[in-house]
Amino acid sequence: MSRSSKRLYDVVDSAAGHMLRASVIERLAIATASIALALLIGVGIVAAAGYDPVAFLTSLVEGAIGGQSAIARTLRFSTLFILTGVAVAVAFRAGVFNIGVQGQFVVGGFATIMSIIRTAPLLPEGVVGGVGLLLVGFAAGACAGGVYGAFPGALKAYADANVIITTIMLNFIATGVVGWLVQNPFRGEGNTAPNTERIPEYVSLPRIVFDSPGFSIVGLGIALATVAVIFVVMERSRFGYDMVTSGHQQSAATYSGVGAKRTIVLTMTLSGMVAGVAGAVFAIMIQGYYTDPSGIGTYGFDAIAVSLLAANNPLGIVPAGLLFGGLDSAGSHIGIYTDVPVQLIDGVIGLVILFVSVPELFRMAAQRTGLGGESR
Amino acid sequence: MSVTDYTDRNELRIAGVVAILAAVVVAAMVMDLQVLEIITAGFIERSLQAATPIALTAIGGLYAEKSGVFNIGVEGFMIFGAATAATMMWVISGGSPGQGDVWLAILASALVSLVFATIFAVLLIRYEADQIVAGLALWFIGLGFGPFMAILVWDSRNSPSLESVNDLTVPVLSDVPVVGQIFFDTSPLVLFTAVLAVAAWKFLNDTRYGYWIQAAGENPEALDTAGISVTRVRYAAVIFSGVMAGLGGAVLLAQAGSFTGTGDTMVSGRGWIGIVAYLFGNYNPLGAAVAALVFGGLDMLQIQLQTAGISVPNRLVNLFPYAGVIVVLTVWGTTRTPSAVGESYESEE
Repeated sequence: MSRSSKRLYDVVDSAAGHMLRASVIERLAIATASIALALLIGVGIVAAAGYDPVAFLTSLVEGAIGGQSAIARTLRFSTLFILTGVAVAVAFRAGVFNIGVQGQFVVGGFATIMSIIRTAPLLPEGVVGGVGLLLVGFAAGACAGGVYGAFPGALKAYADANVIITTIMLNFIATGVVGWLVQNPFRGEGNTAPNTERIPEYVSLPRIVFDSPGFSIVGLGIALATVAVIFVVMERSRFGYDMVTSGHQQSAATYSGVGAKRTIVLTMTLSGMVAGVAGAVFAIMIQGYYTDPSGIGTYGFDAIAVSLLAANNPLGIVPAGLLFGGLDSAGSHIGIYTDVPVQLIDGVIGLVILFVSVPELFRMAAQRTGLGGESR
Repeated sequence: MSVTDYTDRNELRIAGVVAILAAVVVAAMVMDLQVLEIITAGFIERSLQAATPIALTAIGGLYAEKSGVFNIGVEGFMIFGAATAATMMWVISGGSPGQGDVWLAILASALVSLVFATIFAVLLIRYEADQIVAGLALWFIGLGFGPFMAILVWDSRNSPSLESVNDLTVPVLSDVPVVGQIFFDTSPLVLFTAVLAVAAWKFLNDTRYGYWIQAAGENPEALDTAGISVTRVRYAAVIFSGVMAGLGGAVLLAQAGSFTGTGDTMVSGRGWIGIVAYLFGNYNPLGAAVAALVFGGLDMLQIQLQTAGISVPNRLVNLFPYAGVIVVLTVWGTTRTPSAVGESYESEE
């Protein structure tokens, strides 16, 4: 193996060791402290910019859990954050920095919509056709996302191309190409907006429990089922063992006969497939058509924060995803009912990631103040 | 290190660049395109201008990595640099900026970057932050707070039209055909960057401080034994890289003349491209500047294709630099990284 990739593995290795040393309680404390500190800075900026910080905090809570429609909105975002968060966690856990979940999400969602539109004429209308088309859509989304993830994985494995940078470039390319496709060859007939045609009405996730546009409890169920499947794969299967071993201890993995290259490609494929499923849920549950991806949310990026907050543990993704769902939902509430710019929420998410990356900061603070001294 | 040393050590890369250029020319001739219509003096001038922010960022990032710290936060620094320069220009001038305000804004932006870079360096070095995650975080913070600043000032993520830097026309020399247009009738920022690239190269290879930076990344123990503080050298390099990236963002703004905060902002991956530029340039400031020029050229290809009558949709042509990055990383992905990159160093005093 080349030196540069060995160096990267060593970095990842030491980071992973760091994480293993930290106890669960300490991780939880660090996550909570990171969010609190990030929000505090956010509120400070709100106040400094001349807005009312109390009103900001009130609408933050209101927007996340104030009433049934707010809760449905929170769960809608949470569904996407849980799925994209798991996609990130799969890769990060194996020491592969897949920053390309956003691109895989976009490609997956677009493939879902196009496959449903193209297959619809071949199947009967109604419930049977609807379920059939859902299956087609999800399969297409997972495949497209998987292929789009496998590509940078293969470049890493066989040409030692830095995954962080290739996946970021592929995000730009996915947005640009899909944006062009929906604007030109695949624009729905008579559409003034750059959108594809709508998928048929009967292809949708049922609205039970919550009668809210853009949210189905079935979508959340798919997200939770994905979490369960990934958890089992990562914790209980041979492949998961290989993945996590090669993430934590590259040399040990090589000695025990794990094909490092193959593992990287498979990891990226799996990560991309989950991102593709997230894209499918977004496309079917929320939009019903595909639009210029530069205008849709940055779920695949925020997912990095979700995954890191959960220490890349699939089960931890659920609470972290709910929290981010709440933050985003509050963001849209704040955007409508206050004049505080929504971009603040994006910045706060960035701050959360920054603080999560510096556990030492909190350890030292804890020692200074004598708080939580036993947690070490 | 002399130029011949450099060419000896990097035969493959240089051959690669030549091969790509040759392939482009042959392909163009086969497809019966007017090569001269595409590669004009104007194109080179525009490419140099597009390369400037990337080159500045690349040189800074290169210093940080040489010293043993991977600063992947440069994209975030660029966004802050651009947003600060735009808002500063507006505030300083009270809404009607002139040439002097542009330069003041660039300076102010560099100073603000200095503050942010210092905080970031403390987190990376003193508190041993995960360099990759913290760098990504900085990008997200920039994507959030960059447009946020624009909204505070203009109530919109994009600024109105501000002022851009005027070209510097050197009398007499600017009349020289081709060369005159490219070098003596262009943005002074291009010339500034060219001088800076040469200076950064000389500094790194021919001064004591340059050797300290290299030693901090290759063999920190030895530097420590020699009585030089590894930590202090790394602080200097990381802060420098942040300021350079901020400056890159400010320069980008000063050339564009207005701030765009929608989507991935006007920086739109140039910081990431900067990282690839110094990898491609094999950690040599001159190599990085040349690589930046290649990406700048890809960025400016669109206008050329249009004038040559080749219609490729804008949206797709805009993706060329990103595709170029992937090709570069795939073919020249394996670079000789400084051996202590990413490791925090604790002196055993």
